[in-house]
Amino acid sequence: MGNDMTILIGGKAGQGIQTIGTILAGICHDAGLFVFSVDDFQSRIRGGHSFHLLRVGSRPLSAPSARPHILVGIDENTYGIHRDELVPGGIAVLNRNGGNHADLEAQNGVFTVPLEDLARDAGGVIASNTVAAGVVAAVMGVEMARVRSVVSRRFRDKGEKVLALNLDAAEKGYAAGKSISFQAPVSFDGDTNGEHVVMSGAKAAALGALAADCRFFPFYPMSPGTGIVSQLAAYAGQLPMVMEQAEDEIAAVNMAVGAAYAGVRSLVATSGGGFSLMVEGLGLSGITETPIVIINAQRPGPATGLATRTAQADLLFAIHASQDEFPRFVFAPGSVLDTFNAVKRAVMLSEKYQVPSIVLMDQYLADSARTETNGFVTGDEHQSFIQDTEMYQAETYHRYKVTESGVSPRCLPCTPNALVRVAGNEHTPEGLPSEDPVNRVAMVDKRFAKLGAMTGEMRMPSVFCDNSSFFLVGWGSSKGCIMEACLHLREEGIDAGWILFEDLWPLDSHKLKVLLNGKRLLMVEGNATAQLGTLIRTLTGIEYAASILKYDGRPIYPEYIVDRVKEIQGQ
Amino acid sequence: MSASIFDTDRDNHWCPGCGNFAILAAMKKAFEAQNLSPHDLLVVAGIGQAGKTPHYLACNMLHGLHGRALPMATGVKTANHKLNVVVSSGDGDCYGEGGNHFLAAIRRNLDITLLVHNNQVYGLTKGQNSPTSALGMKTKLAASGPTSDPVNPIALALSAGAGFVARSFSGNPDQLTGLIQEAMAFRGFAMIDIFQPCVSFNKINTHFWYKERVRDISDSDHDASDLQKALVLAMADPEQDLPTGVFYKKERPAFQDRFEVLNAGPLSASPFDRAQMDDILARA
Repeated sequence: MGNDMTILIGGKAGQGIQTIGTILAGICHDAGLFVFSVDDFQSRIRGGHSFHLLRVGSRPLSAPSARPHILVGIDENTYGIHRDELVPGGIAVLNRNGGNHADLEAQNGVFTVPLEDLARDAGGVIASNTVAAGVVAAVMGVEMARVRSVVSRRFRDKGEKVLALNLDAAEKGYAAGKSISFQAPVSFDGDTNGEHVVMSGAKAAALGALAADCRFFPFYPMSPGTGIVSQLAAYAGQLPMVMEQAEDEIAAVNMAVGAAYAGVRSLVATSGGGFSLMVEGLGLSGITETPIVIINAQRPGPATGLATRTAQADLLFAIHASQDEFPRFVFAPGSVLDTFNAVKRAVMLSEKYQVPSIVLMDQYLADSARTETNGFVTGDEHQSFIQDTEMYQAETYHRYKVTESGVSPRCLPCTPNALVRVAGNEHTPEGLPSEDPVNRVAMVDKRFAKLGAMTGEMRMPSVFCDNSSFFLVGWGSSKGCIMEACLHLREEGIDAGWILFEDLWPLDSHKLKVLLNGKRLLMVEGNATAQLGTLIRTLTGIEYAASILKYDGRPIYPEYIVDRVKEIQGQ
Repeated sequence: MSASIFDTDRDNHWCPGCGNFAILAAMKKAFEAQNLSPHDLLVVAGIGQAGKTPHYLACNMLHGLHGRALPMATGVKTANHKLNVVVSSGDGDCYGEGGNHFLAAIRRNLDITLLVHNNQVYGLTKGQNSPTSALGMKTKLAASGPTSDPVNPIALALSAGAGFVARSFSGNPDQLTGLIQEAMAFRGFAMIDIFQPCVSFNKINTHFWYKERVRDISDSDHDASDLQKALVLAMADPEQDLPTGVFYKKERPAFQDRFEVLNAGPLSASPFDRAQMDDILARA
């Protein structure tokens, strides 16, 4: 699909294939190229089979590719598993120390390099990944100076000895790679202009939370949500923040509610199983009108499901989680930069309306690193909505004062003298439990009075080629893949458009109906029942025409969408 | 009962004769003795009859989910460790539904006072066994009594490393008032397990049953700095002997001391550092 190439690096868990990908991505970034990487790994620390896909292009990339030009096999199994995915003319570079490849060497396009031997020559087997990065860099046609620069950056903080070892390892790999003939479809002559950054969704989420002044991150480890918390750790000494490992996800969400009540913006990042445990706490946030943000980095379920894989199957769950009803926001960003902005906005809107916000990410979005336009800037989302003036009205202050907007003045306990009384029971305006039916109705109505303004904050889905004969309709992380598939179809003369949702709840059903009316909708979703399609039908009565669903735990690649569209359209 | 600044005019929902009344009165007295005002105080509560306590107190109140008062209090103290936090919980709330959080809060040495109203039965849901019900205590739902042995909250707290562990009895309000003050003055996790009769559902552990068994260890030569002695006292046979008073007291770094960022003051207090955020993003 254009002036780009893909490198697949495969091996066993624990062999450091990600490290190779990260060094190569750094080299490509320095050369002003765009990268898009995906990690495919198993829920294990050692062994098995994992691979890293790195797509490199001279133009912005919105999706990964599963068709490698260079297949790098660190172990004996990679070649057999992935050989059929190679593009025509693609080559395989295999580790001569990682299995017996003697019978393969005679084949066209297969080369072997003794990675460990070369690393040992450089001073330590530990540097064999750096050797591999050097080999691939040479194969791609990169100048050694670029390799040296990236390796230096990566290892300069690890001491002179480690740095020297890795530089030597890179040189030895590079020399070995020089003898492998391959014509890369991209050029490495350019330079980065500083307008772009390479970032993962997990890091973007962490930065978004900090830019919106979140300071408390209680968490319980669960893949793939943990990556977001890990990214936060780097900033612990730079901004006032506390990360606390909770005893379980139930504790984490209740800690978040407690801290928010006392005036600190709090965010919990988890995955579907942890989110399931947080559901009662979500309801507590709802009825106490205490703002919290939950990021659910989705993975296939139910229960343990596929721990390190990806899914888009929690949309209806996120919208409906908890017993009874209360207003909430649900967002599903589609790119790394979108993630940064969505988390900032989720925090700000949660504070503004005193409701919980849920951000749906997934393993694919959290773990993949991409070149993005550098739009990562501090906005005004950090500004406080806490109403200082009310804090001095101790005699008249009511935490749940009935207002036209439904939003009541929010003060902080012990600051200075208004009593802030909050209950998970249905409560009076003063915050005291009450079973009075008139009060109950007044309080439910007060909470739902926010819904109109909340809906007004939501952005309608983005529409491309409004007059197309059909539309690929998706939400969240599959955005880029859908866009690329759509453009590819159009290049082939197939009249496709797209409709992509990021703001998912609450939706304006009237506006949505106007937007979708008369359009042929092909749902593209990472679940088995077309949940967005169900939501659209529920809200508008509009029935989708067909669906392209993928629930194998892997991302929806553009090629997959293109092939299914052709089947559906009979073309 | 004399008037208190902590009084409210709210209708009380507890059964007449409930031990909770004496605990509530002791709390008010202890707060007054410390010259606290209602706005200085935050009572965090779980679910159960004990969870209703802050409804009858003029104070800031955070009344959350069953079993989850301690995690909420952890969040509160993280946001603002200067707040005076008392957690009002019961035997079911704290040792049953919230058992994991109880251990975790002790291990964090969360700087709060935990009052556990322990009536050895579920009152709010009308008479089921609680984690502290003795074997043989028959209920409508468990005709032959609990199928689990009771927990020993004092021994549990001591073995988990709690810094201030005390037991009291609603029938000894003067002792309880003094203990609440001592617990609130303690820097770190301070718990008081408070025996109280449930007049409606516990026909075994009555006021008189407790009265015959409790003794005040401050009358003895108990050394509250000796963990081994505290454990021996905690293991006394509850059918024969219920020691009350401070079992153990020893300060160690509290939760807020374990975060360098909190040394400078409450997390909630510092302004947003926009320049630093811009710098982080520029380097990202």
